[in-house]
Amino acid sequence: MRNVVGKRFVQIQSMPASASADILNAQRLKRPNTPHFTIYQPQLTWLASIANRVTGAGLSVLLYGFSIAYLIAPTTFDSATVIEVIAGLPEGVKYAGKAILAAPFAFHSINGLRHLSWDVTRFLTVKSVYSTGYAVLAASAVSTIALVFMK
Amino acid sequence: MSTSLAIRSALPRARLVTRAPALARFATSGAPYAYTPGGPIIQGSVNDPTAFPAPSRTHGSHHWAFERLLSAGLVPLTAAAFATSGSSYPVLDGILGVSLVMHSHIGFDCIVVDYLHTRKFPVLGNVAKWGLRAATVATLVGVYQFNTNDIGLTELIAKAWTA
Repeated sequence: MRNVVGKRFVQIQSMPASASADILNAQRLKRPNTPHFTIYQPQLTWLASIANRVTGAGLSVLLYGFSIAYLIAPTTFDSATVIEVIAGLPEGVKYAGKAILAAPFAFHSINGLRHLSWDVTRFLTVKSVYSTGYAVLAASAVSTIALVFMK
Repeated sequence: MSTSLAIRSALPRARLVTRAPALARFATSGAPYAYTPGGPIIQGSVNDPTAFPAPSRTHGSHHWAFERLLSAGLVPLTAAAFATSGSSYPVLDGILGVSLVMHSHIGFDCIVVDYLHTRKFPVLGNVAKWGLRAATVATLVGVYQFNTNDIGLTELIAKAWTA
């Protein structure tokens, strides 16, 4: 009786018990992720935070890149050659290059002071975070202009 | 087994009676897990909680304090580098070079730990971690070579800025 009634037309595979984890992981890879980073409202708090990280990383990539390049090829990257190449560039490119270097340096340094002030538990209210954030932006702009037109 | 338990204790007989069927079911069904209140905890599945690193001051509070002190120390160092940009001071170049590279290494390490943690990226995370350490060593050697055999970091920036 049971043999006649219970038949289904379904393909059945024999699998070990550990395959359940593999099937679950394969399903999870195909599932969509809920948007988080792409939909968060732009705010001074996290924009300044990621800008601090990006500027720091960019300046460090420059430092690491130049040092490793000098280590590998000291004659190509020695100071005389580098200064010669820079001196040969047009004025506009020189000013643009200085701005591209000065802006991240100024922002990272002044925002770094803001971070250090948080580490001694100062300016930790929402109001202070925003006011110090705007102060950092203003000071960075002024410093960048000062650095670009310095000397 | 369940009958001997029932005979041995007369008072908590009600509790044993409710327990005995569960144990009896376990004895005959061949299920892999004994009865535990709240359910058995299965290790090794995708539902395992993350493992926390052992508490250690070296990797915790001391590392944090060192990072902040280093960042704070870079402020007077950079100011000194700006102030002495006319002439070359090898000691300042040396200290600034080492401090900058250490500061950059800590920053890069934070990036790798945040975005390429070994828990989620077992291969790429380890490649990034050790690749960063190798790059930092190479950078330290390169900075030393540049400061020794060439004009030094502060002089290079000063001359390149006014080239």
